Amino acid sequence: MAAILRGALKGIKEKGLGNFLRDLKEEGYLKCLADGNLLQTKLHNIGATLVGVDKFGNKYYERLGETQHGRHRWVEYAEKGRYNASQVPAEWHGWLHHITDHTGDELLMLKPKRYGAEHRENLSGEGEAYIYHSKGHALNPGQRDWTRYKSWEPAKTDSQ
Amino acid sequence: MGLGLLASRALRPAASRLLRYPPRHGLARAIGSTPERQSPEASAAQAQPDPAPELPPRKPVAGARVHLPNPEDAIEVFVDGYPVKIPKGMTVLQACEVAGVDIPRFCYHNRLSIAGNCRMCLVEVEKSPKPVASCAMPALPGMKIKTDTPIAKKAREGVMEFLLMNHPLDCPICDQGGECDLQDQSMAFGSDRGRFTEVKRSVVDKNLGPLVKTVMTRCIQCTRCVRFATEIAGVQDLGVLGRGSGEEIGTYVEKLMTSELSGNVIDICPVGALTSKPFAFKARNWELKGTETIDVTDAVGSNIRIDSRGPEVLRILPRLNEDINEEWISDKTRFCYDGLKRQRLNDPMIRGADGRFQAVSWHDALAMVGEVIHKVGPEEIVGVAGKLSDAESMMALKDFLNRMGSNNVMCEGNGKHPNADLRSGYIMNTGIAGLEKADVFLLVGTQPRVEAAMVNARIRKTVRATHAKVGYIGPPTDSNYDHEHLGTGPQTLTELAEGRHPFCSTLKNAKNPAIIVGAGLFEREDSDAIFSAIETIAKNGNVVRPDWNGYNVLLLHAAQAAALDLGLVPQSPDSIKSAKFVYLMGADDINLKDIPDDAFVVYQGHHGDQSVYRANVILPASAFSEKEGTYENTEGCIQQTLPAVPTVGDARDDWKIVRALSEVAGVQLPYDSVGGIRSRIWTVAPNLVSVDEREPTTFSTTTMRPNTNQKISPNDFGMAVENFYMTDAITRASKIMAQCSAMLLKK
Repeated sequence: MAAILRGALKGIKEKGLGNFLRDLKEEGYLKCLADGNLLQTKLHNIGATLVGVDKFGNKYYERLGETQHGRHRWVEYAEKGRYNASQVPAEWHGWLHHITDHTGDELLMLKPKRYGAEHRENLSGEGEAYIYHSKGHALNPGQRDWTRYKSWEPAKTDSQ
Repeated sequence: MGLGLLASRALRPAASRLLRYPPRHGLARAIGSTPERQSPEASAAQAQPDPAPELPPRKPVAGARVHLPNPEDAIEVFVDGYPVKIPKGMTVLQACEVAGVDIPRFCYHNRLSIAGNCRMCLVEVEKSPKPVASCAMPALPGMKIKTDTPIAKKAREGVMEFLLMNHPLDCPICDQGGECDLQDQSMAFGSDRGRFTEVKRSVVDKNLGPLVKTVMTRCIQCTRCVRFATEIAGVQDLGVLGRGSGEEIGTYVEKLMTSELSGNVIDICPVGALTSKPFAFKARNWELKGTETIDVTDAVGSNIRIDSRGPEVLRILPRLNEDINEEWISDKTRFCYDGLKRQRLNDPMIRGADGRFQAVSWHDALAMVGEVIHKVGPEEIVGVAGKLSDAESMMALKDFLNRMGSNNVMCEGNGKHPNADLRSGYIMNTGIAGLEKADVFLLVGTQPRVEAAMVNARIRKTVRATHAKVGYIGPPTDSNYDHEHLGTGPQTLTELAEGRHPFCSTLKNAKNPAIIVGAGLFEREDSDAIFSAIETIAKNGNVVRPDWNGYNVLLLHAAQAAALDLGLVPQSPDSIKSAKFVYLMGADDINLKDIPDDAFVVYQGHHGDQSVYRANVILPASAFSEKEGTYENTEGCIQQTLPAVPTVGDARDDWKIVRALSEVAGVQLPYDSVGGIRSRIWTVAPNLVSVDEREPTTFSTTTMRPNTNQKISPNDFGMAVENFYMTDAITRASKIMAQCSAMLLKK
């Protein structure tokens, strides 16, 4: 506790009170008061190693030693309000879930340039959700034509 | 390997097996399921002591009837102990059918000659040392036929095993699957296993043209197709090559099958060796909905079944009608269906000031037509019914235009001076089936092979059976029976009428002479003179008698006969040249140059074919597969189509469009249902209402027709049908028909 206070005072001294408070807000410390999950992550972060930061700003931490095995890797989401697991890009997913020991930054180099799709979080319920439209639906861009006949085209035959 | 396997099985009468079962006849057989079947002799001996004394009478297969010309010739045979009386000369298989026993068969077909080579129809006959092939064995008096004995069963099982030996296990990818004789009969009569372990033989597929797909490894050499081609289609294209396991069906040299009936080999093939090329891999037969309707691509009115799935016609098959098409149909009938899916008119359209068509609503289109028709004089209104029109719509069109004050309603193909007064002057008085009784034919200006393939098949059947003589007047043509080419034009006709031609004596000496006149002659300027010359020939040759009417007109189009019955005769022959308002109801083969440039043309029809380009307003109508309509065929038989698929787009039935238009134009027709329109037809031509009946004519033309003072022009007769595969809007839109005329006719 004393270490936290000392660190806070040092920060105020370096950045000034205004900047310190703004940083505090951006880092989500203010939200910690309402969000116990975030507070727990923040407390967990103390003394852990920051392994990497992905392009969305999610921070990946690891703490070996006194942590229970299986709980030694975690992520602090860049988005402090509405975070969810789909915000973790594919390259970090393996590291985070103990599938591989390669970090996301290492795996990013293996990502195919030509067809590797950009990661998008799951936006279901956010207004931008992906909705499947059936083959005959007007909103399906590849809408199938179920008419089984070809109609006569007057345009190409205007001889008169 | 097969023998070795058998031997090893025979030498291994395992002790355990001997203990479990009572010892059988020597060898333990690897095949067969029931103990009785394994030892036929023993079970036969067992069955003998108590033959079933009282057998319930069985119904003949498929309602087969026996006609006994004179009862003295009848013989009695016993089928499974049940006595049947049959005429002399029937085969054992036919006797079994009369007795109500269906014998399995592959090569036997009751309209083809007997081959007796598949051996599937083996039955046991008492006192015969071996099973006999029932299809080829004449029944003899007192014969005791047994179809259900262990020997017969074992024989069938053995034949089936041999047939399946070289038959590929193709059923999951075979188009015949589900309607395959081999599949069905192997389920009913085959064994549950085979003993063949060698490599199956393979045969190179033959290219028979754009209609028939061949997978020759599936062929079981029943030779039905070969017999069909030589006997009924009359082309010597197919044959059998090689012997034993090298036996193959094929064209001797690489060539296509050029028959107008070639599609029928698909139906008669009992396996999937010959299947429909356009239908290949499109559907399974159990997915299809069958609609029993009739064909309108020629004037024969062949009975067909339209097989459809959803809104799509997938294939057309023949239906049995002994009086019209027996069980065959022409290739045009069978394969025109893809034309129903192309070039369809689906929206009412109006040609704007810039000459472009614009899709509009029915309301606007009808309002425009209703407005314009009142701006022209009544005598300037002309209506033309097309060759595919049904009787209902022609009736509605005639009533509508009559109410508008015009009597210029005609049907295309009937010429300028149609003789609609006497029905015997424009239908086939003998009837299509009646042609089989004729012994001399005189074909005047008609090529039945291209005009009406089913009538041609009937003539060929007669010529083959009775060696009837055929005389032909017209341009040189490719016929599939022996005929005498008498001449090319009216010259020969005059000679015949005046009795100067050698063929006259043939006609005079004939018992039942038949004259067949082509409807192409209707279009000639001197048609009256030509028909009176033909009637002179008929009179001199005694062609029309109380017991025999051999005077026939072979019509070209499905609508012609009904149009003449309904009196669609123009008041003035050249009315179209001075018309201001022309109503074309599916008329695509009229000369568009005859229509004046300032005329307002309404085209009502289902295909954007030829006349739409001249139209000012297009009204989309339904095709024959989508409506209920009455048609009269060339012999005067009334038949109805039934809707198999829904109409396309915004199209409507023909008579409904005319009825709606009459209301918009202020001269409402007094009927608003098919029943109503039919009772109106009944007042005009009562025969058109009695469906599936053929009203015979009462008067003959030879005595009633007024004399004409026309001169016969010396111009030769032309070909009425240039391209067999493309004669109307539907067939001209069809891709398959286009392929056929390109590959088979080289056009």
